[in-house]
Amino acid sequence: MKPFEYYSPQSVPEAYNLLAQIGTGAKILAGGTDVLVELRKSADEVTGSIIDISRIVSLRGIEESGDTIVIKPLTTHTEILRSALVGMHAPLLKTAVAGIGSPQIRNRGTIGGNIMNAAACADTVPPLIALGARIRLQSSTGDRTVALSEFFTKPYVTVAQRGELLVEIRFPKLPFDARSSFMKLGRRNALSISRLSVAAILMRNQSGVITDARIVPGAALPTWHRVSEAENLLIGHQPTRELFVEAGKKVSEVMISFTGRRWSTEYKEPVIAVLVRRALEGCR
Amino acid sequence: MKLVLIRTTINGRRYDLEVRPNMTLLDLLRDELGLTGTKRGCEVGECGACTVLMNGQAVNSCLVLAPQIDCQEVLTVEGLADGEKLHSLQESFLDHDAVHCGFCTPGMLMSAKDLLDHTPDPSEHEVRTAISGNLCRCSGYQQIVDAIKDVEGEKRKT
Repeated sequence: MKPFEYYSPQSVPEAYNLLAQIGTGAKILAGGTDVLVELRKSADEVTGSIIDISRIVSLRGIEESGDTIVIKPLTTHTEILRSALVGMHAPLLKTAVAGIGSPQIRNRGTIGGNIMNAAACADTVPPLIALGARIRLQSSTGDRTVALSEFFTKPYVTVAQRGELLVEIRFPKLPFDARSSFMKLGRRNALSISRLSVAAILMRNQSGVITDARIVPGAALPTWHRVSEAENLLIGHQPTRELFVEAGKKVSEVMISFTGRRWSTEYKEPVIAVLVRRALEGCR
Repeated sequence: MKLVLIRTTINGRRYDLEVRPNMTLLDLLRDELGLTGTKRGCEVGECGACTVLMNGQAVNSCLVLAPQIDCQEVLTVEGLADGEKLHSLQESFLDHDAVHCGFCTPGMLMSAKDLLDHTPDPSEHEVRTAISGNLCRCSGYQQIVDAIKDVEGEKRKT
């Protein structure tokens, strides 16, 4: 591993002040499950500076605040998996983190790292966007909140400015009658990168008619967003297999409208459609 | 590159160390402290050969920087046995012939310890999930799963 200067700030202001002082070449280290792999691969002579935020206590934990769930960015995937609050109010997020990496990766990897790394295969992002999550970024000069759906511009690139630190992820609790699911397709069960994934949420009224639908595919579109074309097909109808098949086809169409036909389309076109159908069926 | 002063506990023993920040916990254990029971495998967190417990949780020591164990507690495979007396997990691995070439064994033992410490009576599915981050290239998984399940059987009998 190439040499670097190492800093371990103990508080959020200390961390963003360091970020501001060092400027270019400062890299934030949280759980390290992506950063260490990168550091080892890095061809640069000197990596610059590592700001290890992993021991900032205030950036850890899951809380509820009225109708909102607040997850601090250093919360590990294991902590999310074991959280009763997440299990009750955002079960699809729990399903998603259960499939990340391996127990060892889940014990170190953090939700904030998963977001900030911004890989197209990030498994926490589709559920968080379906949940309507917003994230809070702090720097030495500001403090702002951004909808997660507007945070990513392309794979590995976000609207976060140099010097900004993710300090909070929040989303409204799902209503008790909402049903949700997350489906992931990988090449094997453990330690597999999502080839495609789908987060889905359905709400129905007393006669069973769908009143709200949210569908967010992962690793399918240039950036994550809800596919309203497919969601609108569902609203106002009884959930049936045929309807879910239609919604799946629609997501597939939308995906191709963004990506064009490429070498992987032959595979992804039918597979994303089936994954959407299964995710919707998982919401029953 | 400034050295980092850390204070840590490894296998119950206190250490005050000065470490290079670009050293991993794995490097520290093997190359500086001579604890070579922890194996160096893929070095990208996929094989689990370097698994140790950090504050009781299984982690890939190749993905932890040495300075990150400051004020933390680490347990490696060397810390499992009590002197000459093997840990019940180690006994069970021997009883079930769960060791072929042995390279994955230290990591398997540490993942299994994390599981049993938190889940006293695991199902087969839980056992398989617990070792899902550990590869055994001899493919002796069945014996390993049997060994881990049986430790608990033995414990319940006594």
